[in-house]
Amino acid sequence: MRNQRSVKQEFLRKWITGLRRYSCDEKKNMSFLERKKAIKLSADIAMASTRDKTTRWSQALIANASSSGDTLTGSSKNNSSRSRKKMLMMRRRRPKVKSAKKEMSASCIAKRLAEKRTRKLKNLLPGGESIDEGCLVEETLDYIESLRAQIEVMRYLVTASQLIINPYP
Amino acid sequence: MLHCLNSNASGSEMTVLERQRATIKWQHNNNHHQGYSSSSSPSPSSSSSISLVQVQSSSPACLAAGAWPKLDNNFLMGFTSSPSSGFPLPPPPPPTTSAASFDLNSAISRTSSCPLPSLAEGKETTTPNNKRKTDKFHNTKVVASDNDNKDKRVKVAAPNDSATVGKKGTQDCGDNSNKDNSKVSEVQNQKPDYIHVRARRGQATDSHSLAERVRREKISERMKFLQDLVPGCNKITGKAGMLDEIINYVQSLQRQVEFLSMKLAAVNPRLDFNMDDLFTREVFPACAASFPAIEMSPNMANPASYLHFNSSQQIDAGINPQDISLRRTISAPVSAPETFLDSSCFTQTLPSSTWEGDFQNLYSVAFDQARAASFPSQLFTGS
Repeated sequence: MRNQRSVKQEFLRKWITGLRRYSCDEKKNMSFLERKKAIKLSADIAMASTRDKTTRWSQALIANASSSGDTLTGSSKNNSSRSRKKMLMMRRRRPKVKSAKKEMSASCIAKRLAEKRTRKLKNLLPGGESIDEGCLVEETLDYIESLRAQIEVMRYLVTASQLIINPYP
Repeated sequence: MLHCLNSNASGSEMTVLERQRATIKWQHNNNHHQGYSSSSSPSPSSSSSISLVQVQSSSPACLAAGAWPKLDNNFLMGFTSSPSSGFPLPPPPPPTTSAASFDLNSAISRTSSCPLPSLAEGKETTTPNNKRKTDKFHNTKVVASDNDNKDKRVKVAAPNDSATVGKKGTQDCGDNSNKDNSKVSEVQNQKPDYIHVRARRGQATDSHSLAERVRREKISERMKFLQDLVPGCNKITGKAGMLDEIINYVQSLQRQVEFLSMKLAAVNPRLDFNMDDLFTREVFPACAASFPAIEMSPNMANPASYLHFNSSQQIDAGINPQDISLRRTISAPVSAPETFLDSSCFTQTLPSSTWEGDFQNLYSVAFDQARAASFPSQLFTGS
């Protein structure tokens, strides 16, 4: 679909920039967990920004990150509040229709199963609670792709860092 | 009932609506009259047959055309006998035609591909089935013939006109805009009639159902993409199973991200990632080589060697990265100039100025490292 290599490059670049900014700000030594959190956060944000706010999950990710008081995402706070409002509005506009009858036919059971799972998927996806089913699948596709790219780049970074420490075991 | 035929109609120019109303009424009356010992009047109730024939002739695309053969002769004869302008009022229809009507109904039901309960049963029980069948039949004919607003009117008008016997199913589909109700009525419709075909005929002309079907097709198309993306989804058919797989996959990916970030945090005591060191270690097969591919093509010193370097890396990318690094040392002479070019390009593209101060130091350090790593000195003279 998209050019995977350019996506990875962009992600890596943004991630390293973000991490550098993070490390410059915090001069003291951070604990292990703090570091891990910083790494993950900057990676997520970098990944989201490669999508350039075209997808909903990326917007939601950035919004959540900025709402948690992170300094890395200063400018996107306005966008986050707007998107939050939009999400709330959408949620209100879609009331669940409760069917009065309880039908135990196979199709209804299957439908209920599928509904349960879509809800679970929506919870997994960042900002996915207020998406309709049509967009849900698209967003999942996009999200999976980005996650894959992110994991590959992170893995390379890990191995590279490990090799620096002990070059040729 | 058929009075209106005379009043409204101008000969054979009846509208489809009126024709169908007439046929429904005729059917209804027909069925009602079964209980009575109807006198067998020889007049073949040509008016009713005429209306049927007219319906038939009006819609050449009608599905039941093939099922009317045994009726055709009688009806056509009746048609030709009476003038088209006037429709004689029918007496209670004779049993022969009633039998024919039953055949008609059965024929209709055959074409709509659903077995009727045996006609030998009580007439009342057959009446709703017949009604439904004929209405469905009319619906199908309507759909087949013309797909404009008339269809909706006919569908809605038909149940209103006819008697209120067990109306369910396809008519409700037309009326209701609520998706749930249409699905429920579909189920109801299916149960007594053994139909496994989704009552598309009833749904086709409803704008809401159309939109819903389009939406469903879109979703299924995207699910196919997901099937390709998620490993192990090829064997699973069915929405719930696939969703399950997708959920598991997304969860595993997210967990991997967490784990890798933990590993990175453990490896680096401080959050400093020296890109230069990383590049010189040459563990970024695709990334490092691809940086120059896009950003530094004008600066390429020796594109031929770079291409060679690139291809060898891509082949090795799937293998253990440690092996890659070992192989790098062998091909290091080729790559050493490239890495320097890579890192310089990398810093050039970055807007942040904080890099450059650090970078200069790192550059020299890396240069020294490369020198110390037993590369033949000829390379540097060559580059």
